[in-house]
Amino acid sequence: MTMALPSGGLLAASDSNALKDFINLICEPHWFFIISCAGLGVFLAGYRTLTKPAVAWIALVVFTLAYVLSALDPDFRSIIVKPDNVPITIMMYLVGFFLWLAFRQAAVNDEKMASGRPLTEAGSDDKVLVWPDLVYIELIALVFCTVALMVWTVILRAPLEQPADPSVAPNPAKAPWYFLGLQELLVYFDPWIAGVLLPGLIVVGLIAIPYMDKNPRGNGYYTFVERRFAITTFMVGFVILWVVLIVFGTFLRGPNWNFFGPYEYWDPHRPAALVNINLAQIFWVQMLGRGIPTEGFAFIPHYVIRELPGIVILVFYFLVLPGILRRTVFNRMGNQMGAVRYHLMAQLFLWMAFVPIKMVLRWTLNFKYFVAITEFFLNF
Amino acid sequence: MATKELVTKVWIEDGCIVCDACETSSPTVFEVTDDTCIIRPEALSAEFTKPLTDSIVEAAEECPVDVIKFDTVAGEAPDAPAGAPADPAEASVEKAPAAAAAKPAPVVEAKAPEKKPAAAVAGDPDPAIQSLLRAATSRGGAAAILAPDEGSAPAVKALQSTPSKDLPPDARQARIMAGTKKASEEGGVSRRGVLAGSACGVGWLALGGTTAVSGLAFQRFMMPNVLEEPDPKVRVGPADVYSSMNPGEVNEETKPDGFWIIRNEGSIAALNIICTHLGCIPNWLPNDRKFKCPCHGSGFYPDGINFEGPAPRPLERFRIMLVDGIVTVDRSKKFQYEKGEWDNPDSYVEV
Ligand code: SF4
Ligand code: FES
Repeated sequence: MTMALPSGGLLAASDSNALKDFINLICEPHWFFIISCAGLGVFLAGYRTLTKPAVAWIALVVFTLAYVLSALDPDFRSIIVKPDNVPITIMMYLVGFFLWLAFRQAAVNDEKMASGRPLTEAGSDDKVLVWPDLVYIELIALVFCTVALMVWTVILRAPLEQPADPSVAPNPAKAPWYFLGLQELLVYFDPWIAGVLLPGLIVVGLIAIPYMDKNPRGNGYYTFVERRFAITTFMVGFVILWVVLIVFGTFLRGPNWNFFGPYEYWDPHRPAALVNINLAQIFWVQMLGRGIPTEGFAFIPHYVIRELPGIVILVFYFLVLPGILRRTVFNRMGNQMGAVRYHLMAQLFLWMAFVPIKMVLRWTLNFKYFVAITEFFLNF
Repeated sequence: MATKELVTKVWIEDGCIVCDACETSSPTVFEVTDDTCIIRPEALSAEFTKPLTDSIVEAAEECPVDVIKFDTVAGEAPDAPAGAPADPAEASVEKAPAAAAAKPAPVVEAKAPEKKPAAAVAGDPDPAIQSLLRAATSRGGAAAILAPDEGSAPAVKALQSTPSKDLPPDARQARIMAGTKKASEEGGVSRRGVLAGSACGVGWLALGGTTAVSGLAFQRFMMPNVLEEPDPKVRVGPADVYSSMNPGEVNEETKPDGFWIIRNEGSIAALNIICTHLGCIPNWLPNDRKFKCPCHGSGFYPDGINFEGPAPRPLERFRIMLVDGIVTVDRSKKFQYEKGEWDNPDSYVEV
């Protein structure tokens, strides 16, 4: 996945500053997110052309060039040379390579399928021996990993800081790189949702995939045309909601967890004012022009009335929408999967979609929570 | 036409490990069930097996435990395609041992016309036998054979009196299985069962007891021997230091003690430094006049009210009081805005 991180190191100073400003601008959260999604969309739509070796080589060279030129910028360099962030560079290359590898083979197979020739995997044995085939590979991987880790520990210093002080948090306080995506989620969700429910759903959902997905297509061979929905959904979850968020958290989050462009100085005193508001505020105050309800009605406590619009929206989203989708866009899939599988899938799918929905609402409307019953730690 | 050894009868001895190999080589002859492998009823006729000689021999060779046995008789290779006549030399070399073994054994076909039930079961393609075998190979069929009733075919009834050793291997297997099942179902109290049961119970009890005791020991281990708890009450200084602050100002000196002293209109209060989102420590930004959390960006006004980022509720306040003119903060008591507790006179000191 090539991020939008080109640079203008070769250009004259003013040009390059203008270019940097432009890049800083398009790295604003919503632009960054939209561009990433668009990039993924273009990739999935044009995967047959875009995975051609020549195109892939060009992408690799352009990305590397942009990355190296960006490193001339002191602010960008200070990010990437941090030992904490070395894995991010490795991750971007590895994710790009494996995405290319998988989609390349899918593209070849899909072309063969279209022209009626046998697939690449045709005739290959569907059984592989553990010994020696697997164990050998594992042994080699083990040796390489050990060597790489040793070299790593010798070359890179551990990023140690001063002794911990319970009354001071580092600024910004960043999670380990692989959790930066989750940390980014915490910006938009209550800790219970982003720290417990969503990670749990990710794990459970990944485990549940083989049980929900009975479709035998794509078993044992690479393809994209036959599994468009499944692969696209997974790509959005993995590339956008995990990898892109990690990159986002690494490069674009600075002191006070404020947003900073990749070539922007991390100034902890840069003022950034935004006021986040709950749906209750938007509905009762901005739309109806009256105060937020503070009185209960009969046996209904006031917070239920206050959060009624959010409750209605969430009930619709999680309980009614699956049924509507079943009758419309997911009609065929619903029939193939059966009710239980379909509803499991729909819940996981809707939870996944809930994440970008809330992120976009935050960036555009300064939106905080649909339902905020802080009295009981119920915030969605 | 070439002559070669042809298979007239095939059977399976005890010891099948249900590996599916034979059914793969010769699906029309072998059928692998859940717990054993049987010869399909149709394949009990010599006429059926003869043309399948090659695949049966292959299956017998592939069987990992060598339980597939067969009888052969010299015969003409049936339907050898004109273009590819069977190689007699090769065939005879290959089949020599089998042929030698088969010679002394009576050729089954010769026996077939005799109507003795045992012999009939062993090799006759008689339809009664076939129905019998079909019953034996279906689920629960064994019961029908072992406990025939009025409606059972005569052949089934005749089977009752057939000694086990004369049965074909699959029927014998069925009889053994049924016998085992019956024995285990009838059960009853045996000395051995009682002993085994009580040994098992004692074992589980011991395991449970050990786990429980070690769990308790572990819990004790996790508890600190000495509890170091700082006095929740902190004396922070004379009141006039704080009353001279401007409204909206924040005193950061007490941050190491876990709170800020903030000045509101006409009062001071002690604000807990723990972010109400996920427990990081926010920083006071004097330029922005707000507390800002470095973890996920929650922002709070100087009075502790949350206004940006994910924190769902305002910062908490501690109990604060004047003791002999000294401002004292009691960190053991918290006041939460969303519960309306900031009105409590313990949560502020008027200045
Ligand atoms: S090949 Fe032998 S062991 Fe395997 S299923 Fe057949 S009879 Fe049983
Ligand atoms: S812990 Fe303070 S914003 Fe998350």
